[in-house]
Amino acid sequence: MHKSFRQAEIWGIAIAAIAILGVLPALNAFVPESSPLHVSDFTINLYGKYLCYAVLAISVDLLWGYTGLLSLGQCMFFALGGYAFGMHLMLLIGKLGQYHSDLPDFMVFLGYPKLPLHWEPFRSFWFAVAAVVFVPGLVALVFGFLAFRSRIRGVYFSILTQALTYAACLMFFRNDFTFGGNNGLTDFKFILGYDIRSAVTQRCLFIATGVLLILTYLFCRWLTLTRFGKIQRAVRDSENRVLFSGYAAANFKLFVFVVSAIIAGLAGALYVPQVGIINPSEMAPDKSLEAVVWVAVGGRGTLIGPVVGAIAVNALKSWATRAYPDLWLIILGGMFVIVVLFLPKGIVGLPMQLWSLFKRSTTLWKKVQEQHAGTTELPIKESSTRQGG
Amino acid sequence: MHRLKLFCLAAMLPTLLLHAETDPDAAVRQSIARAVTGSAAEQDSVLQQIAASEVVTKTEHDLLASWNNGEIYLYDDPSGKSIPIVLEQSDADKTRAFRVDTGELLQDSNGAPVMIDPTTATAADINAALRKKIQRTLDLLSLADPSPDVRRGTAFKLGTSQKPENLPILEARLKTERDTGVKNILLQATALIELADSAHPDRQIAAANQLGKMNSIGGLDSVAGLADSKSAAPEVKQAAEKAAQSIRSYLAIVNFFGTIFRGFSLGSILLVSALGLAITFGLMGVINMAHGEMIAVGAYTTYVVENVFRDGLPLSPLGISIQLPGLHLSGWLFQTYFIFAIPLSFLTAALAGLALERLVIRFLYRRVLESLLATWGVSLIMQQLFRLVFGANNVQVNSPSWLLGNFTISDVILGYNRIFVIVFAILIVVGTWLLLTKTPLGLFIRAVIQDRDMAACMGVPTQKVNMLTFAFGSGLAGLAGAFLSQIGNVGPSLGQSYIIDSFMTVVVGGVGSIAGTVVSAVGIGCSDQVLQQVLGSPVLGKITVLAGIILFLQWKPGGFFPTRSRSLDS
Repeated sequence: MHKSFRQAEIWGIAIAAIAILGVLPALNAFVPESSPLHVSDFTINLYGKYLCYAVLAISVDLLWGYTGLLSLGQCMFFALGGYAFGMHLMLLIGKLGQYHSDLPDFMVFLGYPKLPLHWEPFRSFWFAVAAVVFVPGLVALVFGFLAFRSRIRGVYFSILTQALTYAACLMFFRNDFTFGGNNGLTDFKFILGYDIRSAVTQRCLFIATGVLLILTYLFCRWLTLTRFGKIQRAVRDSENRVLFSGYAAANFKLFVFVVSAIIAGLAGALYVPQVGIINPSEMAPDKSLEAVVWVAVGGRGTLIGPVVGAIAVNALKSWATRAYPDLWLIILGGMFVIVVLFLPKGIVGLPMQLWSLFKRSTTLWKKVQEQHAGTTELPIKESSTRQGG
Repeated sequence: MHRLKLFCLAAMLPTLLLHAETDPDAAVRQSIARAVTGSAAEQDSVLQQIAASEVVTKTEHDLLASWNNGEIYLYDDPSGKSIPIVLEQSDADKTRAFRVDTGELLQDSNGAPVMIDPTTATAADINAALRKKIQRTLDLLSLADPSPDVRRGTAFKLGTSQKPENLPILEARLKTERDTGVKNILLQATALIELADSAHPDRQIAAANQLGKMNSIGGLDSVAGLADSKSAAPEVKQAAEKAAQSIRSYLAIVNFFGTIFRGFSLGSILLVSALGLAITFGLMGVINMAHGEMIAVGAYTTYVVENVFRDGLPLSPLGISIQLPGLHLSGWLFQTYFIFAIPLSFLTAALAGLALERLVIRFLYRRVLESLLATWGVSLIMQQLFRLVFGANNVQVNSPSWLLGNFTISDVILGYNRIFVIVFAILIVVGTWLLLTKTPLGLFIRAVIQDRDMAACMGVPTQKVNMLTFAFGSGLAGLAGAFLSQIGNVGPSLGQSYIIDSFMTVVVGGVGSIAGTVVSAVGIGCSDQVLQQVLGSPVLGKITVLAGIILFLQWKPGGFFPTRSRSLDS
């Protein structure tokens, strides 16, 4: 691992920043619709969604790729952030809802007499933002404390996080849990006094998501370059050695878990106004596994990998669910199997993998040539290293 | 229901005609026909005669019921005589009619059937007093019915009606009744009627005490109602309150055991499914997320076998249509389908598991997290395949009739299907235990679990052991699927709802430990059901169980029976 940012990386970030923050919004706003260079509102919205997913993917990778903790409940934090912000947006609708009541539509529908007490402070934007950070953070803190204290590791951790998100999902599906049950929160009208559906607002949200993605990237890069990052990777590679060296590995893991939960929550908060709905299916166990697929496909243990994976897989999904709706799940599942079996480093690692394959085959070829030139008696036997069983 | 009865009656009548001479119904018919048109005194005597008779025929019962419902009509024949008739059930405007006195078809002088319009026909006169008498006679008849179930139902009905005029009938029956179950209900019924007798508080108290002593669940509402009523005397209310409390606590016990029983059957399914998972996880250190889909494979196999035994099954995966041929069996031959479905579910799931092991999992030994992800991919593919082949909707598997009934032990209802599942789960656990401890394959499996490398050095064919074990574990999941199909519907995402529970079971039980899996499966199944009951909602119950498991692992991170190992990263 390099001590500082590489030159190429800095250039890459700069180009991405210009593209996301400048070029795409400009093409959307100033280029006339007739021009082939015009980027439609739909595309901006779609890419905004992808960028949220990319932030979520980075949070998964921070845990899995860098610390060796495969969390299968990351979408729960994503959805918690989304719900916290969605509550604020819900209260901004005011009397414009279907029932023309001060209460959100679903509360009128479900017969709530008045706004539940814990909804009250969400009238404030800043309280909602604080909740976006603290709610996922606190849940992660409590769960992580319990899990890491009793040294739940590896696959047990994965199964438990999956159970956690499953339980949360069931909970949010209940109507009396005051979060809209099955339908979740939707029909938002305003954000910070602006019309949430206007092209300008959506463009601003897109830029905000871009900023979040770049900041997250820079923060994680910085974190992984510090001494903390080294310990983080040491925990991944051999937790016992870290323990024997006198580090409290559990505390390091807890910190990373909380940080990544907060990142996921922030991504969820920006996701909700762009998509316009948040419901419990966002925290279904499948969703979290899907986020893990993005990271695996993109390449784990790198920071660019998750971003590439999230955007590529979702773009593929957008296309495949329209072109081959019946086959999409088979494509996704198949992709997962193939990536796990054959591409452990994902798309980002593919060039290196091909290069090393190429180098190995050329050296082998050279050896064969030399052997042929030197002696004639020994045909090269494949070196048989027995793996596994 | 009643129309059907009438129709049967109408269909039966012509055949009765052939042996009218020897027919015991003939006299009954004559007397009922006489009573319909006769005076009140005549009616009384006929009804009393019927009530007193030892043998009750179906004709008698049905005719009385028709009379009671105003379905006996009067036909004025040309000579001016009124003939009582019953009408044939049909959708036409006019229908044929049968004479009540002979059971013959009503014919005019030319021998052609007379057609009657039900809307204009005159019904035989019947007033409230007469109706009451007929109803009473009918009740009496069904109290003397040969089937204990009918007697029980009637006694219960008469009791809950709390009408004092029914008391003598019940008491009379109580003297002759032999069946203890019916006797019990009769006692409860008489007590219930006496309970309503506000003129005699002492009788009310005795009745309340009686009901409380008998733990009469059916009497709870009446007793509780009496305890809350304002008009009753305080001593009566006190006795009723006491009785209600006693019945309530009895009911709580009954519900508790019912819940425990359901918990055991749920736990058995969890057990069969988790057992397979525990073995593969413990043995090979791979997490098979597609294990839930193996359950679905088993369930769908049962579905296919059922349909093949019936009329075949049209399938259309990916636009290709395939017609599975059917055997067109019926009766008891069809009912045996489940016996064939059980081993077939095991086999298909085992074959699917074998394919999965050879194609994917053997590359992933010791890479636990990767195996989790890859098998999740496989599970997605399989779910979509189920959807493509069998459709996205749930399919219904009809249980064979011998699994449908239930029996009752002191008010706890035990369904045969659930008992069957429990018994079979016990057999499977015993079988697995025998396989692991008494066979050469079991020896190999245990050796590989303890130390894979050393076992390989000693000449254990570890690859083959892996393969067979994985197939066996998947087969167990298939069996779980076959059982599940008898308890609920089968759908493409069937496995998803069990996989998390199965994993929890394995983790709580301790990986690779059969005893642990048994304990935790039964424990999770029971606590799930009990909490559902206590908290009043299945979802809250589930959430509490999940939270409980997380807390449990604080206390015992390795589960109930952790595998002991000197290795740090066990």
